[in-house]
Amino acid sequence: MSNIKLGLLVFWPTFWTGFPIKMVFCLLLLAAHMHPWEGAGFFLLLLVSIPIDIWALGLCARTVFIDRLKVDPQPGMGPNLWIRWAVFSAIGLPLIKVIVSGTTGVAKSVTSNIVHAIKDSIYPTLPVAEQISLELVMWGSVATGVLILCLLGWLYGLGWLTQSFVNNANPLEGTEEERANFWDGLRIPADQPLLLTAFTGAGIVLVFVFWALLPSTTPHPHEEYEFISKGPKEEKVEPKKVLKDAEKVLAKAELVVKKLEEEKGGESKDSNDQKPKEPAAKEPQPEKNK
Amino acid sequence: MQQDSQPVNQPNPFEKVVEFVDERVGLKTIQAKMLNEPIPGGSRWAYAFGSVLLFIFILQVVTGILLMFYYVPSTDHAYDSTQYIIHEVDYGWFLLSYHFWGSSAMVVMVFAHMSQVFLWGAYKKPRELIWLVGLALFGIVMGFGFTGYLLPWDQRAYWATVVGVEIMDKTPIVGDFMARFLKGGPTPGQMTLSRFFVIHVMVLPAALAGLAGLHIFLFRKAGPAGPFRGTPEEIKAKTDYFFPRQIWKDIVAMASVFLIICSLAFIEPVVLLEQATPDPGDYHPEPEWYFLFLFQLLRLKMFGGEFGQFLGAIAIPGAFMAFLAALPFIDTNPERNLFKRPAALIGWTVIMIFILIFTVSAIINREFLH
Repeated sequence: MSNIKLGLLVFWPTFWTGFPIKMVFCLLLLAAHMHPWEGAGFFLLLLVSIPIDIWALGLCARTVFIDRLKVDPQPGMGPNLWIRWAVFSAIGLPLIKVIVSGTTGVAKSVTSNIVHAIKDSIYPTLPVAEQISLELVMWGSVATGVLILCLLGWLYGLGWLTQSFVNNANPLEGTEEERANFWDGLRIPADQPLLLTAFTGAGIVLVFVFWALLPSTTPHPHEEYEFISKGPKEEKVEPKKVLKDAEKVLAKAELVVKKLEEEKGGESKDSNDQKPKEPAAKEPQPEKNK
Repeated sequence: MQQDSQPVNQPNPFEKVVEFVDERVGLKTIQAKMLNEPIPGGSRWAYAFGSVLLFIFILQVVTGILLMFYYVPSTDHAYDSTQYIIHEVDYGWFLLSYHFWGSSAMVVMVFAHMSQVFLWGAYKKPRELIWLVGLALFGIVMGFGFTGYLLPWDQRAYWATVVGVEIMDKTPIVGDFMARFLKGGPTPGQMTLSRFFVIHVMVLPAALAGLAGLHIFLFRKAGPAGPFRGTPEEIKAKTDYFFPRQIWKDIVAMASVFLIICSLAFIEPVVLLEQATPDPGDYHPEPEWYFLFLFQLLRLKMFGGEFGQFLGAIAIPGAFMAFLAALPFIDTNPERNLFKRPAALIGWTVIMIFILIFTVSAIINREFLH
């Protein structure tokens, strides 16, 4: 088996085996207002990931060894293989990041120059949407190609580091079914109800921890966010003030009625004078909003 | 020798209840039928997508019902009640954000499930009807996304609906009727919100539940397709029952998706824009992320003008969906091995790259709008 294939066969299930357990921890960190991708949260996640990855790598590598390579590895493969993979990845993955981001930067710059040259000399009215897609395809192809090559190199390294464990493993006899049963037998726990109870108990504890940490109101993670809907202002009702205001309104109304009556009386008295009329009383004006 | 007076296998109260129900509804037969389904070639992670979809749908129903306790589907109160859910209701922000990201997860899972069925060649005879019902379910999931987007009644919701209905209007013969029916007036308003709400919480869930039931029934009738590689002897040797291995894989996949949705609800909780107004102001209308590729496609010059818009928005997607519906009847070759079906592999890869390029282009295009 090639190094790349071996690396992929072991890495892919290892990643997915550890993923749900790490996700539980990530969610708890998020509920506790810690970001798992920075600061203390990241450090804690790395710390928790170590035993998870050692266990997942040992389990998945042994599955590949028995199921695909028909060999049983020496005991203690998980921690030994993990140390090799961790050191290699700690150097390799940042290197890949530097290479890919560097290549992407150069590709973007070159692509932009090419497209601008096309716009200047061949197609000056190149629309924005077409320009975006054209540039994306050009630099994206280069970046994707480099990324795939780098990942293949990394997988080759993982496979190469695993090969020595394959060489030291004991060959397994028997049919495919017998090998599957052998591996099944190793994985089935001696006390199944205990395992089920432990799983259920851990699940219940995690649910309680999650609900205890979960903020009941929105954590407002966006600084630019403003609470837009303020709703109607609540006005306190003071009965005495309301009665006093009502009395004022009634007093004003009485005054207006009285003046209107007087005016009416005056009108009938001086009906023959033919003088221009003036308003006797002004209606109360509504207060202007300040 | 002393004889034990106690019967040996006296059933406990729980067993008695199970026995009582079993006598009347055939519980053990149902259980045996559900759990003892043989899976040709054994359990696989790739088979978990369908179960995960059902799980997401159930949680969408639960969170949707809880949200309906507070949401008011009127133009006067939809926005305020959504803000109330986010800011005042205990855990309301989390429920709403979970519901929002759950809808995206459903689209992703539908896509993954359809891709798996296509690549495995599991749409072929005798599973044509399962594929057709699956396509209808895909349409319903998209409908859920479209109708649910309007409900918060903010600028994003309003203008996405305006754009969506305008695209629908371009459909020949039925487009005008559908657009008028959905809007209920010249511009989106109370009638639009009411209709979208009813479709979102009554029509589509009922349709999805019914069709999902039919989908599962047809699947159980035809049986799982199994792997596309390996001799019949090899597949038979590895054949396993649904319980316990596939159940375990389904549970782990469901738990993972649940954790991802919860995490997304924390990382990007729902934040409303300003309340919907007929004036977009500085806001540039945009549909939900899974329609972005189509939106960007329509920005291309070749899809400009009345006919171009019809071509890009209706004719090409419509023809593609018609092709997918006809696929099991066109592709009658029983060969299911993906590596012996180059057209299928290349076609799927090209479509994925196309969607990826135009979705990323739409995101880059945002910079040019400002």
